[in-house]
Amino acid sequence: MNIVVEFFVVTFKVLWAFVLAAARWLVRPKEKSVAGQVCLITGAGSGLGRLFALEFARRRALLVLWDINTQSNEETAGMVRHIYRDLEAADAAALQAGNGEEEILPHCNLQVFTYTCDVGKRENVYLTAERVRKEVGEVSVLVNNAGVVSGHHLLECPDELIERTMMVNCHAHFWTTKAFLPTMLEINHGHIVTVASSLGLFSTAGVEDYCASKFGVVGFHESLSHELKAAEKDGIKTTLVCPYLVDTGMFRGCRIRKEIEPFLPPLKPDYCVKQAMKAILTDQPMICTPRLMYIVTFMKSILPFEAVVCMYRFLGADKCMYPFIAQRKQATNNNEAKNGI
Amino acid sequence: MVWKRLGALVMFPLQMIYLVVKAAVGLVLPAKLRDLSRENVLITGGGRGIGRQLAREFAERGARKIVLWGRTEKCLKETTEEIRQMGTECHYFICDVGNREEVYQTAKAVREKVGDITILVNNAAVVHGKSLMDSDDDALLKSQHINTLGQFWTTKAFLPRMLELQNGHIVCLNSVLALSAIPGAIDYCTSKASAFAFMESLTLGLLDCPGVSATTVLPFHTSTEMFQGMRVRFPNLFPPLKPETVARRTVEAVQLNQALLLLPWTMHALVILKSILPQAALEEIHKFSGTYTCMNTFKGRT
Repeated sequence: MNIVVEFFVVTFKVLWAFVLAAARWLVRPKEKSVAGQVCLITGAGSGLGRLFALEFARRRALLVLWDINTQSNEETAGMVRHIYRDLEAADAAALQAGNGEEEILPHCNLQVFTYTCDVGKRENVYLTAERVRKEVGEVSVLVNNAGVVSGHHLLECPDELIERTMMVNCHAHFWTTKAFLPTMLEINHGHIVTVASSLGLFSTAGVEDYCASKFGVVGFHESLSHELKAAEKDGIKTTLVCPYLVDTGMFRGCRIRKEIEPFLPPLKPDYCVKQAMKAILTDQPMICTPRLMYIVTFMKSILPFEAVVCMYRFLGADKCMYPFIAQRKQATNNNEAKNGI
Repeated sequence: MVWKRLGALVMFPLQMIYLVVKAAVGLVLPAKLRDLSRENVLITGGGRGIGRQLAREFAERGARKIVLWGRTEKCLKETTEEIRQMGTECHYFICDVGNREEVYQTAKAVREKVGDITILVNNAAVVHGKSLMDSDDDALLKSQHINTLGQFWTTKAFLPRMLELQNGHIVCLNSVLALSAIPGAIDYCTSKASAFAFMESLTLGLLDCPGVSATTVLPFHTSTEMFQGMRVRFPNLFPPLKPETVARRTVEAVQLNQALLLLPWTMHALVILKSILPQAALEEIHKFSGTYTCMNTFKGRT
């Protein structure tokens, strides 16, 4: 009898969850403030990581930037400082206009910190995390964004590159989360953002190692979310970001079917990050960009495998990485891409 | 050119409908099973659990030779003796698939002693069974190396020859946890999700390779030592699978050239639900079905 009651309660909660989800569509929830909070971004030196840093800076978060490339990391930090100066100037102007009668926002000493860190190496992560705790304070928002791609077919890919892809794209999430989650658990406050990929939801041929690493990240994120839920730590939020192919140069040359491309062009990085920021600031558990990805995911779950393959082929998604790999090989032959990995 | 595009556009829905109907018919009508008498089978993690049952099943269905890889010699020896008594040639090699160099060396030894492997079954797996914060770093890495990277190494070792011979099959014994993660097994869920993606990507890549194909098996909780102590809340509704059942269905899938196999069939409902429900609803269902607590009593293997 107890179970019957519980069953009805669960049914009600499920239906209520649908209602809430629908309500989110109609009325956009209010965005939470990250002003003054410490936000750590891995892979902050380029691509989406840099754009995340700039977006968080505009929202007055204190930034901790991790990247293996010191120079590009400092470039991002320079951009962030520029935004901070603009914000301070705007504050001063508003203060003057208001004759000092009201404070627009609690005053924050906005700062950005850079650390050179190879997130693929466990010891590196733990040591750098310790330094962050000492020099900056406790991290409130953790954005796991760092990623690499080897760009080789499985049988031609050196084993070290396969391992590297798994270590940077997937295993790093273990270390960064283990490093910063304990404090979040203590104070029951925090946000963990996992930047995965649409290749974390459906695979494509030719990049087995990248797909494996991104699926692993999605599995990790899901399991972590459930662990936090099971531990009833409702103050710690998680957001999974699954963008479709982003036009950052990481997958230069990748293309789907010519006729489909106008409907599904590569994402502009700016748009992708703005959508992700909306999701993060409204505590949305997951976001796929564009929304068409949800439909593809659903189709994939109801169709038999052969039909899924047929759908992939129609979209040109099954071999979309082959041009990228070919270009990568050509670049390597020209000795241009040696620094890229 | 315009006609070609129009043709593709019209053909696409027709093709989809055809494939769905074909799959539905395939469920009802028995299909012809492929002959295994010329196949050499390699099973990683072949000493116990599902691996042992797989070896038995392949032997019963007439495989020519069976090779077992594992890390515990005692189990391998027992299983090898059992298979030999069934009249099938069987060999075992001690190999940790998480160790890349070891995989390549042992693969070479297999080729020299047994010949070309035409069916590779990646079954080796470990599970740590703890939450992230309670997990030891080395244990986390071990799961990743054995469950995921091990498949990379074994596939790289044997696939080139399969492609040359234009005859081969790569099987992955995965888990439904690859598609639906649970708390308390974060290392396992991560590694199995990775392995699933690897197999899916490989399957897509092999579609154009004649004679070589791949099968991914996603069983629900199976009664083996590996998940000893794990408790399902409604065992009558979702009874744990028997290793024999998983092995039989796996070998049938190989003989039918089936790319994806979910066991039992009701797991399809789980996958569909997951793609349409909001996260909060999923969490309530997880809570109700007991997946939040099922690993609390987990013991596993020592």
